[in-house]
Amino acid sequence: MRRKGPRALLATLLLTGVALSGCDMSDSAASRDQILAVGSSTVYPFTTAMAEMFPRKYPDFKAPIVESNGTGAGLKLFCGGIGARFPDIADASRRIKKSEFDDCRKNGVGEIVEIQIGIDGIAMAESVHGPHFATLSEADIYKALAADPYGRPNRARTWRDVNAALPPVPIQVYGPPPSSGTRDAFAELILTKGCESDPAMQALKKADADKQHAICTKIREDGLFIEAGENDNLIAQKLAANPQALGIFGYSFLEENTARLRGIPLQGVAPTYQTIASYRYPGARPLFIYVKGAHLNAVPGLREFVAEYAGSWNPGGYLDRRGLIASPDDVRAKTLAQARALVPLDPATVE
Amino acid sequence: MSDLVVLPDRAPTEWRGTAMRRRIARRYAAERRFRALGLLAVLVSAGFLAFLLVAMLGEGARGFRQTELSLTIDFPAAHLPLTAQAVAREPRRAMIGVDLEGAVANAAERQYGAGGARLLSDGAWLTARDAILRDPDVLGRSITLWVPAATSIDIAAKDAGEPAAEAAYAKLSGRGLVRTVFAWHFLTSADSTDPTLVGIWGALKGSLLTMAVTLLLAFPIGVLSALYLEEYAPKNRWTDLIEVSINNLAAVPSIIFGLLGLAVFLQTFHLPRSAPLVGGITLALMTMPVIVIAGRNAIKGVPPSIRDAALGIGASRVQVVFHHVLPLALPGILTGTIIGMARALGETAPLLMIGMRAFVATPPGGFTDPSSALPVQIFLWSDEVSAGFIEKTSAAIVVLLAVLMAMNGVAIYLRNKFERRW
Repeated sequence: MRRKGPRALLATLLLTGVALSGCDMSDSAASRDQILAVGSSTVYPFTTAMAEMFPRKYPDFKAPIVESNGTGAGLKLFCGGIGARFPDIADASRRIKKSEFDDCRKNGVGEIVEIQIGIDGIAMAESVHGPHFATLSEADIYKALAADPYGRPNRARTWRDVNAALPPVPIQVYGPPPSSGTRDAFAELILTKGCESDPAMQALKKADADKQHAICTKIREDGLFIEAGENDNLIAQKLAANPQALGIFGYSFLEENTARLRGIPLQGVAPTYQTIASYRYPGARPLFIYVKGAHLNAVPGLREFVAEYAGSWNPGGYLDRRGLIASPDDVRAKTLAQARALVPLDPATVE
Repeated sequence: MSDLVVLPDRAPTEWRGTAMRRRIARRYAAERRFRALGLLAVLVSAGFLAFLLVAMLGEGARGFRQTELSLTIDFPAAHLPLTAQAVAREPRRAMIGVDLEGAVANAAERQYGAGGARLLSDGAWLTARDAILRDPDVLGRSITLWVPAATSIDIAAKDAGEPAAEAAYAKLSGRGLVRTVFAWHFLTSADSTDPTLVGIWGALKGSLLTMAVTLLLAFPIGVLSALYLEEYAPKNRWTDLIEVSINNLAAVPSIIFGLLGLAVFLQTFHLPRSAPLVGGITLALMTMPVIVIAGRNAIKGVPPSIRDAALGIGASRVQVVFHHVLPLALPGILTGTIIGMARALGETAPLLMIGMRAFVATPPGGFTDPSSALPVQIFLWSDEVSAGFIEKTSAAIVVLLAVLMAMNGVAIYLRNKFERRW
């Protein structure tokens, strides 16, 4: 009697195990009835907010699945091809690059609808207990963080080495890794601008664009710039522990954490909703979603989801309340028309 | 004691001499030192555990509680394009396009003054919707509901909030319009972007489905391998090689299995992304060697006399294995299995690789639906912007620990139930 227990248990497990391993492989990806979105961790909170609201408004559709893996990795998945196992939407915190667009076309993803959902700002921030920087310029940041500012090795150890007006605080900056769209935008919006404040660099751009790009965007690797992963909370915790250090954040994170962090003005312009919405703040950048044209009819709810997204980015709207900065009125009107008509992206405009 | 030969007329041991006494004192001191060090080691590990549990339970207990506001909604005054009959006929469809959210926000503004809508959670209108679905007749009158409060109020109620929210909370609680209750929905709903609406059930169900696939694959394969290797396989260089390979496989970092899962199951076999099925297969690869090793040790521990006796009275090899060896080895095998499963349950890295890190707002319905898993959910919430997610992260950790403890409890129960002594 006592031995019957384990044997029955064992037999059940063995049988079901064999049965399951038999049917595993045949059950491959059939058609999908849920939207799949991948990409930027900056756009992630907005797409997830939409994904959550969508089935409440449209009970016929399931909530979309959203993955956060970074703009570059997301676009790579998105451009992998057409079919149920490839995502329908790519979130991006920068525009798609020519190389990525070509990759898409090579895999049969020709029609892509580009929709600018709003604006985000890249901000340098310090802990509220920090040294209280009055303002920084792009050139200050470039000189402090570039690997070879203006082609010479970087020897600056404190902010005063960079600019005599700054406090003698050691340079120590926590920022995102290269796979992040925030990092790309930081290099493009802030470092390149600081770099090109030198006329010699503008001349070099015409002579040798690749070399100029390397000099302008390569970040120092001697330990003063610390790659902290995609986790903004972690950076905020490190700043609290080490108030002398600075961090690179998206504005939407900064806004939610004003109790811990203070955004440092750039060129005297503080990162606020108004300055970013009007692009007066130099670190403002547009955010995008890319929608696969070939999937619009195949995946149920994709059209409705895009329309719903477009209806939520107005000032005071659902996404606005979640920290997304609305684009200026004219841009919004144009992208709304694009989202309604689902006009494919013109390859000529991609750089 | 210099001469090794014991002589019969040897003088009795001098116990009272100083040299002997010193030696004895040294031996006792060594004993005491060892005991003190051992106790210290136990205290240090117990201290770590206590610190972890207290920190997690303290923070997590708050995550299980939720602040609610009393809200009076006057449905006739809201002029909603909705009738009780329509709702009764087609509950979900009738709600499409009805601005219930706006009606709830207006009711809050009316009751709590300007800015009143910001005291409520973004999902407060869902409570109103559920009230209508439960009883469509409420549309004809004014009702008072307890709706979830906004994150800032929730944090203030648990005394750590910002000054403005603290003031608002003090005013509300003075009028008895606010209460803190157990958040049942945390145990029944799935992921959300709003910390007042999140739940762990989606991730927990995902983890359970994943574990089911893992168990159903790894257990039979692991046990059959262990039996074959111990009872049938000849001892030669090939079986030595297999043994070394299995031991090495058990030591491979889990992220490697994730990469394997990505390359083989997703890219070659085109299995669905983010699905518990793929997660389960990947984790089964990781758990199987653990089961094989534990199983072989348990089978080795069955005394040969039992096999000999069974063979002696005419049992076949298969009968010996299934009637005698396996039932006796089962407690050890099950313990090893559950330890392997517990490790798989806490595993994050391989699941990230196969896409089980997605935002999934509905609990998975089956093995091929996109889903999250408990450790990944903890990872995702720790990355969230809103401050309300901090306590939810701890609460999710408490749930994960509870599941782990339940699994270990099952292991102990099974071991005690089936264990045989001889």
